[in-house]
Amino acid sequence: MKNNHFLSRFAGGLTSFLRSDASKFLAPALFLVIVFYVIPVGISAYMSFTPLKNWNIDRYATQFVGLENYWKLFYMVTHDPSMKAILLTTVVFVAVTLAVNVLGGLGLAIGTYFMSERAAGASQLLWLLPRMTPIAVYSLIWYYFFHPSNIGTINSVLMHLGLIDKPIDIGQGIIPWGPWSIIIFVNGLVGVSYGMIVFTSAISNIPKELVIAARVDGAGNWDITRKILVPLLKWHIIYVTTWQLLSLITTYDHIFLLVQWNLVNRDYGSTWSLYVYNTAFQAGETDQGLAAAAGVVLVLISAVLGLITLKLMGFERMIREPRGDI
Amino acid sequence: MGRAVSKVAVAVAIVVIVAAVGAALYLTRPGAPEEVAKVELTGNLEQDIINVGKALQAAGISEVRYSVWSGGDPNSVMRVYGIVEAAARIMKIWGENGINVRISVDTNYYQKPDAVYQDFVSKWALNQAPDIMANGYVYIASLADEGYILDLTPYLSKYQDFLSDFYAPVLEAMKYNGKLYGIPQDTEARPIYISKEAAACAGIDLDDLAGKVKAGQFTWSDLFNMAKQAKEAGCVEWGLIHRKGSAHPDLIQFIYAFGGSLYDEDTGKLVLDKEAVYKWFTVERAFADAGLLPHDMMSWDWGKQIHPTVVNGDAFAFIGGVWHWTEWQTKAYYHDPQTGEDRGLRPEEVEAKFYYTLFPAGEPGKQPVTLSQPFAWVINSKAGYQNPDYDRLKDIYQKLAVLLVIKASDPDIIAIHSIISSHLPVTKAGAELLQDQGFVNDLPNLPTIRSDEVRNAISDIVERTANPINIEFLMNTTYMLEYTHFTPKHPQYPKLADLFADAIDKVLRGTMTPEEAVDYLVSKINADPDLKGAVEVVGEVPTGWQFPQS
Repeated sequence: MKNNHFLSRFAGGLTSFLRSDASKFLAPALFLVIVFYVIPVGISAYMSFTPLKNWNIDRYATQFVGLENYWKLFYMVTHDPSMKAILLTTVVFVAVTLAVNVLGGLGLAIGTYFMSERAAGASQLLWLLPRMTPIAVYSLIWYYFFHPSNIGTINSVLMHLGLIDKPIDIGQGIIPWGPWSIIIFVNGLVGVSYGMIVFTSAISNIPKELVIAARVDGAGNWDITRKILVPLLKWHIIYVTTWQLLSLITTYDHIFLLVQWNLVNRDYGSTWSLYVYNTAFQAGETDQGLAAAAGVVLVLISAVLGLITLKLMGFERMIREPRGDI
Repeated sequence: MGRAVSKVAVAVAIVVIVAAVGAALYLTRPGAPEEVAKVELTGNLEQDIINVGKALQAAGISEVRYSVWSGGDPNSVMRVYGIVEAAARIMKIWGENGINVRISVDTNYYQKPDAVYQDFVSKWALNQAPDIMANGYVYIASLADEGYILDLTPYLSKYQDFLSDFYAPVLEAMKYNGKLYGIPQDTEARPIYISKEAAACAGIDLDDLAGKVKAGQFTWSDLFNMAKQAKEAGCVEWGLIHRKGSAHPDLIQFIYAFGGSLYDEDTGKLVLDKEAVYKWFTVERAFADAGLLPHDMMSWDWGKQIHPTVVNGDAFAFIGGVWHWTEWQTKAYYHDPQTGEDRGLRPEEVEAKFYYTLFPAGEPGKQPVTLSQPFAWVINSKAGYQNPDYDRLKDIYQKLAVLLVIKASDPDIIAIHSIISSHLPVTKAGAELLQDQGFVNDLPNLPTIRSDEVRNAISDIVERTANPINIEFLMNTTYMLEYTHFTPKHPQYPKLADLFADAIDKVLRGTMTPEEAVDYLVSKINADPDLKGAVEVVGEVPTGWQFPQS
């Protein structure tokens, strides 16, 4: 009964939404979300219940194996001796890189705000370079930078300066902090530019009068930052944090190459999403059923984490309708 | 009332439309396919080519299209052009017999053979996979399991003479579940290279070392002692260098050299042979602990560390492959002390610097080994799908694809590929041509090649590589095929090989003892349900086994 009530309310809501102007404005975005997100998620969820492998759709797409792929995944996670290292690495990687990305982006945006316009533009462009460089090229640069021999930039410089007499193997020799530092550094450098752009555009929308008035009252850069800029950037910080959290959980491309090239330790250099990728695609036959199950689990984890972040940061207060007393 | 009438009208209209469409479909349905004369393969290649050509012409076909994909190093392009040349030769035969049918072949040559395989698999269901592919024999298992490639056994039942010219172990590698799914395209061996300069410097006599290795009199303990002697005499920085990144296939040779196995023919399961794997790990650990093998060997850089170290004489021994012989000539790994420039070695320099032998036996009583990963021609089970009237002429299109592959195995095509890519010939007739001075002298003019496309594509490579020293090297290493092993054609094998790489890395770095690493392998295998079901763990870690033994 209650269910029916809910359904009829939902249908009513949907009809009135479709008739409203809002639906027409949202149509292009909705179309993209449905085609590129909702439908693929639906197909993935479906695939996760089939034994699909080697892309043999003709043969496997209509067979059902129930929860077998999920069971397989659970079995691997609970039996793999490397899993502890991988989960620990995931937590540290996501937490620290997230902090670097958000605080770094904020720092850069605010720093450049107080700079002359030309210097600000140039320095922002510099920070965008990692994002513009193709992943393989960018990873290769850091591969040679951290390489554990005299061909590695760091080692070669330190040896020339006479600070060390034989090369240090950061990614494989200093466990776990060595590999963690490398993957956090490499990904952090790519990530900060995103926050920087969002925060820069947000800051440029803050009325200049507020800052000028504060200056007249004798406020320094630090006071302006603390009392004016950061409070006004709150919603942007929430957005960037949530967005970066979700993308860090699912990112593996740079890490994949660094592990593949043996620059960083396999266990303390792999995150959960890389583990999922390797399990499903890397070795042996490509198991799309298992990959789909792992993907569904990732979507669920991301959804829960995303909701928690939004809740913690008070997202609903931002979308609440204005009270009209301004 | 009016509303009811209009509803009836709509219903009638729908019925009429459906009926009209149905009737149209019924009337225009394809008639029963007209019978096509069946072509039986007779085992006489020329006759079969003519019969297939006549059948195509009778069916009104004037052009047949095929696509062929393969991949690998830039010198191995005959993996696609072999088929183009075969098509030219078939068309010549047709022309001489008044058959006017053209074969056009689209080629696609990748850098990485595994990417070719991935593309084949992901495009098969979309009807975009090639008709013919040359790729590693290991893929035969999954391609055959999925029904993606033709079982060639019935097509070649009359071609026993053709098949018997292939080296038996290489042909055997093309079989899966007792059926033949591929025709060998090329193969290779993995010699151990020893620095002649380092040996001379340390006063080590290499005379007939290859013979002693062959007889099982020279084992890994002896190689260890030699490497140690060279290092202690200050002649080299390293005693042994090997590949990085993966244990497959070079390091897997240790398992065979200790008499171990990776596959159980009876159960069809992969094998983790604890004893052989333990001994392999112990040998490498002994080399690393003696300072002869780098602890971080698995993360060395191929182009900046491994090859330069070997080529510049800083390593006593190197676990390499036959193709390195020409790679050292084409890539600038060598630092010329006289001019100070980096350059490729000249053939005579490679010959002067390197001694080569089989991979020695692990311990007395065991056999020397090498390992090959032959390339196979495989034929799409939908071969010919892009041609007209496919449903009716399917059988003829498939047979023509098989004939193309047979023709691409002509001795001269095999010999040319071997010479320009430094791979070993897969047929005896191909190997004989390498010894034919007339053939070798004429090679730069490519007198046997009919297709201009092929001639243009390979003439530069032929000019650079057709050197008597390189050809002699190939002839001198062909005997190694008698000692060769193949890694299993099992869909789960790559996963297992990945675990080996992980374990040996931990052993070399000293984070695990050989025994712990074997246990680690077992727990990793048990953590993956697919792998657990596919691998049987046999044997025990031996107690009190020492290395080196003398």
